Amino acid sequence: MASEAVIGRRTSWLSPAREADWDALYAEQLPRVYNFFRYRVGPGPVAEDLTSATFEKAWQARHRYRSDLAAFSTWLVTIARNVATDHFRSRRHHVPLDEARDIAGGATPEELAEHRSNVERLGRLLGGLPERERELIALKYGAGMTNRSIAKLTGLGESNVGTILHRTIEALRAGWETPAVEAP
Amino acid sequence: MDDRFLNELQQAPDPAFESELGARLRRQAPAPLRAAFPWRPAVAVAAVAAVVVSLFAFPSLRVSAQSMLDMFRVRNFAAVKFDPSRLQKLHGQGQNDGLLMLGKTETLQEPGKPLTVSTPDAAGAIAGIDVETPSELPRNLVLQHITVDGAAAGRLTADATKLRALLEALDIRDLDVPQSIDGKTITVRKPAVVVQSFGSDHRHAVLIQAKSPDVELPAGVDLNRLAEIGMRILGVERGQAHQLAQTVDWHTTLLVPVPPNASSFRSIEVNGNHGLLITTQGDFAWEHERTSGPNASGGSSSPTPTQAAGPPRDGALVLWSGNDRVYALMGDLEGVELVQMAESVR
Repeated sequence: MASEAVIGRRTSWLSPAREADWDALYAEQLPRVYNFFRYRVGPGPVAEDLTSATFEKAWQARHRYRSDLAAFSTWLVTIARNVATDHFRSRRHHVPLDEARDIAGGATPEELAEHRSNVERLGRLLGGLPERERELIALKYGAGMTNRSIAKLTGLGESNVGTILHRTIEALRAGWETPAVEAP
Repeated sequence: MDDRFLNELQQAPDPAFESELGARLRRQAPAPLRAAFPWRPAVAVAAVAAVVVSLFAFPSLRVSAQSMLDMFRVRNFAAVKFDPSRLQKLHGQGQNDGLLMLGKTETLQEPGKPLTVSTPDAAGAIAGIDVETPSELPRNLVLQHITVDGAAAGRLTADATKLRALLEALDIRDLDVPQSIDGKTITVRKPAVVVQSFGSDHRHAVLIQAKSPDVELPAGVDLNRLAEIGMRILGVERGQAHQLAQTVDWHTTLLVPVPPNASSFRSIEVNGNHGLLITTQGDFAWEHERTSGPNASGGSSSPTPTQAAGPPRDGALVLWSGNDRVYALMGDLEGVELVQMAESVR
C-alpha cells in the first residue's frame, strides 16, 4: 500500500514532542487548577497539596484522556473536583481560611495590607457557603469556566448554574457590605 | 463587591511550587503507562488515513486487497479492527502489489500525475464535479493548495489457486475459496479525486472528495464469502469476520480497517449522512510531499501523516458519503473540530 511507508508510529505522551505538549499543558492549566482549590478550600498549602494531587493523578491517568470527549482543561477540572471531594471526605472540615500568605508583589505596604485583608475576608465568606455554591464559585472564578462548561461538568442546567451563581454572589456581596465585627 | 473583585482573588502559583511539582511529575517513570495501555495509540488514524489515501490514489491498480472489497457504491461505512502485523507479514511475503496476490491485473486507465490547481472551481473542471469546501475552518486554518488526482481504472482476473496459497501461507485453513471465482474479472473505476489541503503554523487538515468509486462484478460472485476472506486476510478475528460478512451489505458498505490501537472509532452522522469518526492520540505528523510507494506510478499528492516531519499530535479522521460522493477529512485536530468542519462542507 502506497502510504504505509509514511504511517507515523508515535506513542502519545512518550515521545519528546508529546512531553513538550505536556509541559505546555502543565504551564497553562496549573494556575486554573491551583485557583480552583484556592476558592474551594482556601489559599495556602492545602491548595498546593491538592493541586499536586490533581496533576499527579492526571499524569498517571494521562493515557485515559479522550480528546474526542472533553477538552483537557475539563478533564483536569473533573479530576480536581474528585480530589476536593476526597479531601473533604477525609478531613470532614474546612481548612482554616486565614492562611492567606501569598500576596502579589509590587504593591505599596498599604495596598498589600488591604489585599491581605480582602483575601482573608473573602475566604471567610466563601467558607460560610454551602458546598455546592462554593464549588460553583470555585469553578467560575477559580478555574475560569463558563456557566455552560460548569453545567456540563456538574450536571446542572446552564440556567440553574447562572441562577445559583447570581444568588451566591448576591449573598457574598451582602456579607461583604456588612461591617466586620472586631474581635474583643 | 462584583465579579472583578472575585477574580482578583486569583493568584499565580508560587514559582517554586510550580517548578517542584513539574520536576516531580517528570521524575515519575513512564514505564507503567505501557503496561496499562490496552493498546498502543500509535498507527490508528494514520493507518486508516493510509488506507483511504491508497483507496483514492489507486496508482496503477496497486491497491490493496481490502480496497477491492471496499469499492462498490459507497454509502455506508463499517469499521473493523484488524491486525496491523498482518500487513507487515504480507509485505514480508512479497505481497506488496496488493491485487497481484489475488490474480492477474490489467491497467485500463492510468491516473497520470496529480495536477495542482489554484481554485476549487478549477479542480472541479478537471474532476468533473462541483467541488465542495468547508465554510468552518478551526484553528486559523487556511486553504493552502489543491490538487487533482486523475481517474483510473483497472481489471483483476481472479486466480483461485493464488488465493488459496495466500490463505495457506497465513495459516487460514477454515475458509474455502470458491472455485467459481477462478477466471472471473472485476473491473474497478476510480473517479478523479480532489484534495484540498488546509494548514496553519501548527495544524493541518486534508479534505479528499470524489465520486464514489465503483466495481463491476460478474454475476454469481458470492460477495459475502469474498468479504469474509478479505477480512481474514487482514487479520480480523474469525467470528467477527463471519458475522460481518453475513450482515453487511457489501454493495454499499466501505469496510474501514482500524488497527486495534485506535483510541476510538464510532459511527456518526454528517449532514444526515452515514459517517465514521476515528480518533487517536499523538499520531499525526505531516509533510507536504507527494506520497507514493516504491512501485507506484501515481500516488496521492496530499499531505499525509508521516513519521518524518513535524511533532506528533492528536489526530482524527472523518469519513462520510452523500450525493453519490465519498469524503475523507483528516487532520491533527480534535475529533469534534473535524466533525464540525465536515458538516460545513458544501
